[in-house]
Amino acid sequence: MKTTRRRVLLSSASAMVAASVGTRAFADIALDPGKDEASRQLLARVVRVAFPHPNFPDSAYLRTADTVLAAANGSPAQRLDFAASLYDLDQAGFAGLDDAAALAHLKTLENAPFFRLTRATTVVTLYDDPEVWAVLGYEGPSFDKGGYLTRGFNDLDWLPEPRIEEYEAAQ
Amino acid sequence: MNQIANSDPAVVIIGSGAGGGTLAYELTAAGIPCVLLEAGAFIKNEDYHNNEWEAFRQMAWLDARTTSGSWRVAKDFPGLPAWIVKAVGGSTTHWSGATPRFRDYEFRAKTTYGDIEGATLLDWPITLEDLAPYYDKAEIAMGSTHRHGRAALPANNNYKVFANGAERVGYKQYATGPYATNAEPYDGRPASIQDGFNFQGDKNKSKWSTLVREIPRALDTGLLDLRPDSHVVRITHGADGKADAVLYVDKDGNLHRQAAKVVCVAGNSIETPRLLLLSESNRFPTGLANGADHVGRHYMRHMTGSVYAQFDKPVHMFRGETMAGIIADEAPNKPERGFVGGYYMETLSLGPSFLAAFVEPGAWGPEFAAIMDAYANTAGMWIVGEDMPQASNRITLSGTVKDQWGLAAPNVHFDDHANDTAMRNYAYEHAQKLYEAVGAVSSHRTPPYPSTHNLGTCRMSERPEDGVVDKWGRAHEVSNLFVSDGSVMTTGAAANPTLAIRQAEYLAGALKAGNL
Ligand SMILES: Cc1cc2nc3c(=O)[nH]c(=O)nc-3n(C[C@H](O)[C@H](O)[C@H](O)COP(=O)(O)OP(=O)(O)OC[C@H]3O[C@@H](n4cnc5c(N)ncnc54)[C@H](O)[C@@H]3O)c2cc1C
Repeated sequence: MKTTRRRVLLSSASAMVAASVGTRAFADIALDPGKDEASRQLLARVVRVAFPHPNFPDSAYLRTADTVLAAANGSPAQRLDFAASLYDLDQAGFAGLDDAAALAHLKTLENAPFFRLTRATTVVTLYDDPEVWAVLGYEGPSFDKGGYLTRGFNDLDWLPEPRIEEYEAAQ
Repeated sequence: MNQIANSDPAVVIIGSGAGGGTLAYELTAAGIPCVLLEAGAFIKNEDYHNNEWEAFRQMAWLDARTTSGSWRVAKDFPGLPAWIVKAVGGSTTHWSGATPRFRDYEFRAKTTYGDIEGATLLDWPITLEDLAPYYDKAEIAMGSTHRHGRAALPANNNYKVFANGAERVGYKQYATGPYATNAEPYDGRPASIQDGFNFQGDKNKSKWSTLVREIPRALDTGLLDLRPDSHVVRITHGADGKADAVLYVDKDGNLHRQAAKVVCVAGNSIETPRLLLLSESNRFPTGLANGADHVGRHYMRHMTGSVYAQFDKPVHMFRGETMAGIIADEAPNKPERGFVGGYYMETLSLGPSFLAAFVEPGAWGPEFAAIMDAYANTAGMWIVGEDMPQASNRITLSGTVKDQWGLAAPNVHFDDHANDTAMRNYAYEHAQKLYEAVGAVSSHRTPPYPSTHNLGTCRMSERPEDGVVDKWGRAHEVSNLFVSDGSVMTTGAAANPTLAIRQAEYLAGALKAGNL
């Protein structure tokens, strides 16, 4: 069903632009979502629902959304598919869904090119972000600070100090 | 630097990693001039990045490759079968440096394990005794900890969890090495500063690589002609069937010819067979040295997997040496476990950038997010064991995909053998038990990464019909063609530089005696 609607959408772009359906007009479809703030916010919400970290700031999700949008900027067909997918989400009222309903909705899209691109880009972007590292407790580049030699490489104190020599040598 | 004329028939080495870099040093140190052709750039330690993706993009071999078979890498990373470095120093720049030795019976895999259905096991044409003196030389060169008087590295956080878990489940053979990174200054290189970026190339030069040791020393002899950005695309031969030159492409796409009296191929186990296959001719219609149809076959990648365990207290596994922790209790062959061969457990840490990409490829949603949220409280280990060679696991030339030079890309086909799967499941279970013994609240079985250990595609054999090269790495079919990397491994383990040192001695002797 969804596919049929999508096909209509893609094959009649001009008719679509003129038409008006639901809360948002077809005329509003963002053919270049990278330049559209509403698309950006919607995509950031998709990323947050798919990779839910209450402690991550919105700024990190928005940066990831921007990287996904840049990755989606491929052939006209890819751009249209991506724009149409965002449009469908918008029509489905995705932004207003609670976390559980939003997650359930994304599950139905799991194999769609739109979601696959978003997922694949997010795993190499969201967690490659210094602001996210700070939340996760990862300290990032260390060489310029002298490594972790004097900054806790061995500060774990909830277990006994283990042997470091080989068994035979220690006997 | 020495400049050898393109028309001067030289000793030509292809690839500057563990095999090629070591060979270049050993030969030049013995007074033999060499041309060393390296496809990658000359990137120095100070150019490395303390960032996982930046370092990977800077140095990994990212030329077109394809995959097939039932291994999960073909689904999750179809264009990235392996993590191999394309730069001067090869994969030794990114390797972690665990250096356990092969065991004596592992050289007699067929005799020891017997006939295993589907496996193309073979005994090596050499023994541990043959190799022992070269192991010593390699460990001394690399400064392996716990060996030849080198101090052990201290326990880092990830090791503390690992070693305490080992003790509690009854393992005895655990230690922080042997590991080819200095605990104390050694061989002109400083002690580790525990910066945690050794998969990214060690900026501090505490870790051994051919970039920090063999290549500068070979250059110092004045006998090495090192040519980075030189991608060899064909080995040619004369009417006598001996190799007479190599053709290579520079970074601007220009073709060059270097005349050769000896050719040593050390491009790692995907590029080495690919180059031989690309070098087909009327005389060698299925590829150079491939008359017995073994080039590219018996590809091995070690049985691997990882377990990441989450605790209710901080671990900070990323602080410190990545793999300075080894457990050898499961390494012996104990068929009563339900598989032949054995495996090691080794500490492993990834930053959030890599962990997200590799911990469970394709996953998303709250469960995935929970793994990442536990990052600071996570400990990790790698399991790495012997895998079964299979004739159908092989490197072939793609019929459709080409690399940036228009040459057929290599396809890497791999299916796990039932023995590999049984070993992996056993190892996962025991790794999880180890972490539970020190209070893990959960743990995750991570599937194998793109292959870092690539072996067996030009294997050594006593008889020409069973392999590609003889016990010196010399091609059975082409008397002045040598394979000088991990491709020659008849079956699963051992450290590569070791073999290269031994080969260098043989080659130097043969060259001096005029036998080549
Ligand atoms: C992240 C990581 C961790 C590892 N950890 C360990 C470990 O703890 N212990 C261990 O024993 N091993 C480890 N390894 C494996 C080890 O690094 C390799 O087995 C070893 O470096 C292989 O040596 P090689 O000479 O076969 O190939 P490499 O070291 O990969 O060198 C091959 C070189 O040849 C060049 N080349 C290829 N084709 C051509 C061509 N056509 N023309 C010119 N040049 C070419 C490449 O650019 C490369 O520089 C690790 C590897 C990685 C990536």
